[in-house]
Amino acid sequence: MSDTKDASLTPDTRQLHEGLARVWANPRGLGALTVVNHTTLGLRFMATGAVFFLIGGLLAMLIRTQLAFPDNNFMSNETYNQVFTMHGTVMMFLFAIPILEGLAIYMIPKMIGARDLVCPRLTAFGYFCYLFGGIILTASLFLDMAPSSGWFMYTPLSSGEYSPGSGSDFWLLGITFVEISALSAGVELVVSILRTRTEGMALHKMPLFAWYILAMALMIVVGFPPLILGSILLELERATGMPFFDPAGGGDPVLWAHLFWLFGHPEVYIIFLPGAGIVATLIPVFARRPIVGYGWVVAAIVIMGFVSFGLWVHHMFTLGIPQLATAFFSAASMLVAIPTGIQLFVWLSTLWLGRPIMSLPMLWILGFLVIFVLGGLTGVMLALVPFNWQVHDTHFVVAHMHYVLVGGMLFPLLAGLYYWLPQVSGRMPSERLGKWSFWLIFLGFNLTFLIMHWTGLLGMRRRVFTYDTAMGWDIYNLISSIGGFMMAGGVALLIIDVALHFRFGKPAPQNPWNADGLEWAMPKPPTPYNFVSLPRLETRNPLWDVPELPRTLLEGRHGLATIDHGRRETWGSDPLTGKLREVVHLPTNSWWPLLAALSLAVVCISLLVRLYPLAAVATLIAVGFLLRWSWENGAHPKAAPDATVAPGQPPLHSRTMNGPGVWTMSVSHLANGSLYLSLLFGWFYLWTVAPEWRMPETSPLSMPLLVAAGLALTLGVLLLAKLVRRLRRRHDAGLRAGMNVAAALGALQSTLLIGVVWLAELAPTESAHDATLLVALLYVLIHALLGALLCLLQGLRVGYGFVSAEVPLEPVVVLRLWYYNLVVYWSLFVAIWVIPTVLGGAP
Amino acid sequence: MRHLLSLTHPIHLVGGHTIWGIWFIAIYGGLSVACSVAPPAPGRDTLTGINVAVGVSTLATAALLVWLTWACVRASRRAGVRRERFFGLVSAGNYLFAVGATLFVGYPAVFLPPCL
Repeated sequence: MSDTKDASLTPDTRQLHEGLARVWANPRGLGALTVVNHTTLGLRFMATGAVFFLIGGLLAMLIRTQLAFPDNNFMSNETYNQVFTMHGTVMMFLFAIPILEGLAIYMIPKMIGARDLVCPRLTAFGYFCYLFGGIILTASLFLDMAPSSGWFMYTPLSSGEYSPGSGSDFWLLGITFVEISALSAGVELVVSILRTRTEGMALHKMPLFAWYILAMALMIVVGFPPLILGSILLELERATGMPFFDPAGGGDPVLWAHLFWLFGHPEVYIIFLPGAGIVATLIPVFARRPIVGYGWVVAAIVIMGFVSFGLWVHHMFTLGIPQLATAFFSAASMLVAIPTGIQLFVWLSTLWLGRPIMSLPMLWILGFLVIFVLGGLTGVMLALVPFNWQVHDTHFVVAHMHYVLVGGMLFPLLAGLYYWLPQVSGRMPSERLGKWSFWLIFLGFNLTFLIMHWTGLLGMRRRVFTYDTAMGWDIYNLISSIGGFMMAGGVALLIIDVALHFRFGKPAPQNPWNADGLEWAMPKPPTPYNFVSLPRLETRNPLWDVPELPRTLLEGRHGLATIDHGRRETWGSDPLTGKLREVVHLPTNSWWPLLAALSLAVVCISLLVRLYPLAAVATLIAVGFLLRWSWENGAHPKAAPDATVAPGQPPLHSRTMNGPGVWTMSVSHLANGSLYLSLLFGWFYLWTVAPEWRMPETSPLSMPLLVAAGLALTLGVLLLAKLVRRLRRRHDAGLRAGMNVAAALGALQSTLLIGVVWLAELAPTESAHDATLLVALLYVLIHALLGALLCLLQGLRVGYGFVSAEVPLEPVVVLRLWYYNLVVYWSLFVAIWVIPTVLGGAP
Repeated sequence: MRHLLSLTHPIHLVGGHTIWGIWFIAIYGGLSVACSVAPPAPGRDTLTGINVAVGVSTLATAALLVWLTWACVRASRRAGVRRERFFGLVSAGNYLFAVGATLFVGYPAVFLPPCL
């Protein structure tokens, strides 16, 4: 059913619909691989995530089968190690994060009144990185080479000495590949939420779901790079022998634990926040009143986002950290209960003050409330150091983790599935099957994991593959296994329900739940362009306050209802006020994201099989594809050669100096900066803590060359800043030459840095000091090369007329990169040359 | 830039926790370095230079956050636009939470030896 075929539409409106459908069309057949539309890609993310959920669930059933009876030999210990490692890895990295990102990718533009996300090709690139990374990682299971060191891959267990096979490499390379996807989605969700809300949707009026996703996306951007760095360092150690985590070479295995949990603990909240966003969206709908305490929820989201970064050491209480330091983290871990409590009381108050009605989505929400509160309570118990010591690495922790993650993420996700399913398919799911599925999952879950608390308190370690009957754990494990299979039955019913509803479900009315959100104002199933016209909104509950909105939107009576130009467009708005600033023209279907992701997959596989020359070639090819992708921007014939806009409309974003591209670059540098700070943390951590770390008496790095390289970079920044200032005054004379000179300065910096590395005669496989220096120098070298390359490309684009005083955005974006390089370079110079020289090295 | 410094700007939603985060990293990192470079004698109780430094930094940070809380409340009362009132008040709440978080996290320095 599509409302766009409504017979009452005027011929003009129908023509508008047809034009939009033509411009936003998704190709079929092989061309489907070029689709960049957020609706399609969001669904692909979620469908792929669901497949990985089934794989992870199957692995869980294998675990429960093995543990059901004492002295069971259903699996060998090595197979069991692989199975539980892959269960955790698949569920955390290939299911939880991607499916939630998929939901956000699908839902956010629809909720904020946009036609697509701000970087559609990045969405496609992220999806393919996720898909290929997931396939590579999962393939290890079938090749009997799966990682077996646990999902957090502690060193030295995961290092070459104790895990000599390829299992750890599959994990490190596959996860890093998948994390490119997470970061891509994180960056574009942040920018889309801040810069493409519909007219009038000020920051304090946007849907709570968007606040939750904004926090989640920012946390991904800041939280994932420490693990990416850790994975790079561990893979370098495994592949080349650089001893970052080997005490004998001046490294420290605890550094891995720090880097992992700097990511790992925020990860829990990254998973919880979208779940809570679903809850905060659904409860007002079924309570039939606006949420109580919108501002309280916003405050709680921000508090949770920040405090969650201050808890990582509570996973390391047994590592021998001083009591006072553990007390800091114990206190911070307890503090996080406060924002959680605020949200809980807001939801309960909304139900209390509303006129709640029971429905299938609400059933899942109630299940969430019960399970998540229990998980939260055991979380506070685990924050207490003495208790934590007693149950560390036992099944009690496994039970707690599942209560938090399944309660905080899976139950809200399934509530959201039942709630938004009619929006996706235009049909209603079966209440009866849905209720059976809920009760099987709810009871099965509690049977499995409530009992597991006791198993843990009785002392069962979490990674033992079997146990003696004398331990007294038999009955508890058997009950947990029965519960696990009951839960699996519930999941099977859920799949059947969803599958059947596409054919047998009743057609859904326009707004089946009488919801307030803008996503219910569009045709069902949604059109690729979402809205025929984009409304001006100044309410948090659009469909409750403006019930005629679906009709007026469909009739094209709001903004941006033109398609003669043939461009894909959406509004660009002020991040605070929601006032219109630009018309954002969006790229259309493209092969570049797929090709770039494919070449990165070749890099990943060739690193796995240690074919380094092939990896180098594939990397160059990937860079080539990415640069070619960037070529189709601005005034390029495939982007927006004609800058004409309708009278009264703001200019195209590529004709401004502060379009979303500038924001994308800035948010990307948050991620980049997080990686850099993690590297600095590693440098200072090893220097301070690693017992065998040796700082040379004099730095091996040439100070004159380092300073000269820094001066070349500084001159380049000054030149670029001057060019941008001139562009701001609409002067583009000398722009091409200026860009070429900046590129030459970047090349000079790169050459000097290569000289620094060459003259230093580092021994990176013998000492962690030299290895860390080498990685740090390579980091700035890669950035210098990138800066030079982008300036060279800009020079070329000026020659083609794609960049000029009329199309001035791109040099501003490139300047941001150079600013970043400048800050990083000089701060690194202080960290690796000035401070060691001033403090002096150890003998 | 002046716009960003206004206490009703949403940047202050994260201001309190940014200050808290910097302080938290400073006391944890400082403690680790101090215990590595100049640990006090194991027999000493909590009256060590490290505990005093943690205590002083806790009180100073809390005082700064209290002032910012109050300033945000005043700014939100003066604001003419609803959006600014909203962000002023929510930011004040977050600064206040950061005050509590600072005192709660720093308090163990009163009764725990630093490096054991």
